Amino acid sequence: MTDIDAVWERTCKVFPILKKTLSETSVGNEDIEHVIRELSALGLCESVYESAFIEFDFILRQQIVPRFWKHFESVPDPDTGFYNFQLAVHELYSDFSRAQEVLRRLTLFRQVCRLKNQEKVAKSEEATFDELFRSVLLSQLAANFNDIVYAFYKVSFRIFANSYDNNDQDEFAEDMIELNCNGCGKETERCRCQELVCAFNTTNKHLYKMHLLDKLAGYTLTNLIQERITAHVEETCKGVFDASHIKNLQKWLDTIVINWLTRIFNRGSSKISEGDGYTHNVIENFRIKLSYFLYETYAKLIIDQFFNIIIDFPDSQLAIDDLKVCLEKIDLRKHLIKTLKQSLEARLLHPGVNTMDILTGYVAAIKAIRHLDPSGVLLETTTEPIKEYLRKRSDTVRCVITGLTEEGPTDLAEELAKSETLKENVDVKGKDEMLNWEVWNPDPIDASPVPRPKRTSRSADIISMVVDIYGSKELFVNEYRNLLADRLLVQLDFNPEKEIRNLELLKLRFGDSLLHSCEVMLKDISDSKRINSHIQSDLNYSNGKAFPISSLILSSQFWPAFNKETLELPDEIQDEFKKYTTSYEAYKGNRTLVWRPVTGRVVLEIELAGRTLEMTVNPTQAAIIHYFQERNEWALEELSGLLKIPPSILRKRISFWQTQGLIKERDTDIYTLIDEMEQSQVDPSQSQEICEEDESESAMASASDQREEELQVFWSYIVGMLTNLDSMPIERIHQMLKMFASHGSGVEFTQEELKNFLQRKVREYKLIYNGGVYHLPK
Amino acid sequence: MKVKIKSWMGVATWRWIANDENCGICRMSFENCCPECSLPGDDCPLVWGACSHCFHMHCIVKWLNSQPNSQQCPMCRQNWKFNIQ
Ligand SMILES: [Zn+2]
Ligand SMILES: [Zn+2]
Ligand SMILES: [Zn+2]
Repeated sequence: MTDIDAVWERTCKVFPILKKTLSETSVGNEDIEHVIRELSALGLCESVYESAFIEFDFILRQQIVPRFWKHFESVPDPDTGFYNFQLAVHELYSDFSRAQEVLRRLTLFRQVCRLKNQEKVAKSEEATFDELFRSVLLSQLAANFNDIVYAFYKVSFRIFANSYDNNDQDEFAEDMIELNCNGCGKETERCRCQELVCAFNTTNKHLYKMHLLDKLAGYTLTNLIQERITAHVEETCKGVFDASHIKNLQKWLDTIVINWLTRIFNRGSSKISEGDGYTHNVIENFRIKLSYFLYETYAKLIIDQFFNIIIDFPDSQLAIDDLKVCLEKIDLRKHLIKTLKQSLEARLLHPGVNTMDILTGYVAAIKAIRHLDPSGVLLETTTEPIKEYLRKRSDTVRCVITGLTEEGPTDLAEELAKSETLKENVDVKGKDEMLNWEVWNPDPIDASPVPRPKRTSRSADIISMVVDIYGSKELFVNEYRNLLADRLLVQLDFNPEKEIRNLELLKLRFGDSLLHSCEVMLKDISDSKRINSHIQSDLNYSNGKAFPISSLILSSQFWPAFNKETLELPDEIQDEFKKYTTSYEAYKGNRTLVWRPVTGRVVLEIELAGRTLEMTVNPTQAAIIHYFQERNEWALEELSGLLKIPPSILRKRISFWQTQGLIKERDTDIYTLIDEMEQSQVDPSQSQEICEEDESESAMASASDQREEELQVFWSYIVGMLTNLDSMPIERIHQMLKMFASHGSGVEFTQEELKNFLQRKVREYKLIYNGGVYHLPK
Repeated sequence: MKVKIKSWMGVATWRWIANDENCGICRMSFENCCPECSLPGDDCPLVWGACSHCFHMHCIVKWLNSQPNSQQCPMCRQNWKFNIQ
């Protein structure tokens, strides 16, 4: 037995691991071989070899790994964190190196005694140990480990980036002697960057040799770099739209980030040796992944600021060009569309923004977005809400016209001036497109799948896009005509030269035929002036008149339809108009006048006790007060019968005089002239609102009235459909009518407009609406 | 109270005094102009025939020119004679 004990003693001397220690003993190879022969004679080779690995496992679990992780128990400040990590790795590495000697001896052991399972042992001792080493290490991972690794690499990155910057800007360095080093944060004189870089390189080298770099640092490194990239992109690119950043960003990535990573993975050197394919691959993978990340980050930054880019356009072209480059690499279309829609909505589409500003924003958006995506698909998708919103604002056409005809922020006038040259280019361009049919690309899938009726060409110019708010230039011109009619007849505040100039500009753009009516309208106004002065000079007329009449004489076929408001003037006033008509007939032979009493403007002088009021009112108001001159008190019914105004509207008209303090409602629907003594007590300042509301009324049939007229064309179709199909929901009716419309009249309408029309038919008892469907009354 | 009208700006549409609404040749309203014209009224006047039918002057002249042999009113086929009123 003593023999065996002695052999064991000798064995332990060669393999101290069997006594649970890595402490080295200096033993020659002959000693090792001697021990092996002894063990072999005793048949113990195999069990000793295996015990050695069992002890490795034990030492790793109980000593080495816990000691390593103990360094990370306390929460460190970044400074000590750096040293902690360095120290921990250093210790771990010294254990790891000592284990290498043991492994070497074990390898020898296996080879000399030709262990039976030698064939089976495919892995080397080193590989077996490595695996064990890593799995034990990771099984005891400290909770805050990633923070410490993060702190370690962050310090190093800062030093590295800083040294790079310093090299880059030598010329400024002298002017900018800073108190603290940008790298390590210590006072410049005590800068420890050099020392830290050394420690950093050593630590990485150790990790690399232990095959731990990727396992321990890979994840954190990626996070850290991504964070650095985000910060760098923000710092250098945010709010700077007039420069292209891509080249610099790519250069920054390639030099600073990739160089730094190379040093980490290449044991401190930035030059990877020719044969080192592994490191090459690691770095190349990083480069690809990080490039994507860089482009994505930059693209998102641009997208987030896209509203500002729109406003800055064309100064922001370079930022858009950058975004284009990014989008070629990364598909962010969905994100782009969503973000863009949201920001346009948030910045433009609410009641606080005036229409001109929305329009200006819309024009800028058209320019900027089309620069980004000339196909027009993106534009169509993102600006639809703006168009819809503008369509609902009542002053949009006015703003468009103003924009088209006056210098202003919308640039529309400038665009209009361009439009002549544009027309000439259209043919040439069309030809080009035909020649290029081979490289034609289908629309991206986010192009709206349902083709809308009368889609304007996607590459249409800006004015077409603005006009497209109304769906077609016909509808736009129609709106313009209504607006012009109102200005000419109701507001009377137009400047004829300016209107004519506007019209000429619009004709250049939309063609003479569409705007012909407007031309006649303007001519009517100037003709009226001439006719007027002729009639005034007609002595037969001017000698007999009670008050001066002037008239706007319109060519009915060329004006938009008037609304159906009625008014019958008192006889003595009507007589005056008859005199005027007689003079007109004499002048124009075979022609006569049909008056529209409700429209116009009357200047009155109202004499009250002690004071005289001069006011400008509309004819209805004039007629009302005229009747109160005859009699102090009127019942609503009675007055309504005389004036031929429905009571509900008349009540509204009388309220004008109530706010003027001349009339009061003594009893329900009984109106009395206020006693002249009382009159002075009424505060006329209240009157403002109602007057203004009154002013804004239009003489023309509203768009919805006109729509209903147009839809009347379809009434017989609707009756036919309902006769055959009994009952139908509105969607169905709308669909079928659209089919008819596309072949027939060319009238377009929304479901909403159709609904208004059908509801009117319901009110007229021509339709019944029940349970969501329409049917005909039996 | 005394109300005095100082001035009244009214609005009217002009109309031909004719016993029909549309020109029997071009089918356009008389208050519109004939297809050859762009401005109504003075620039595209109406004329009456002895038969009391009336047309855009440009329309009837064109019509008569296209009928070299017989100068008839296109409505009633009576011989056309301008009625100078
Ligand atoms: Zn005619
Ligand atoms: Zn004519
Ligand atoms: Zn005739």
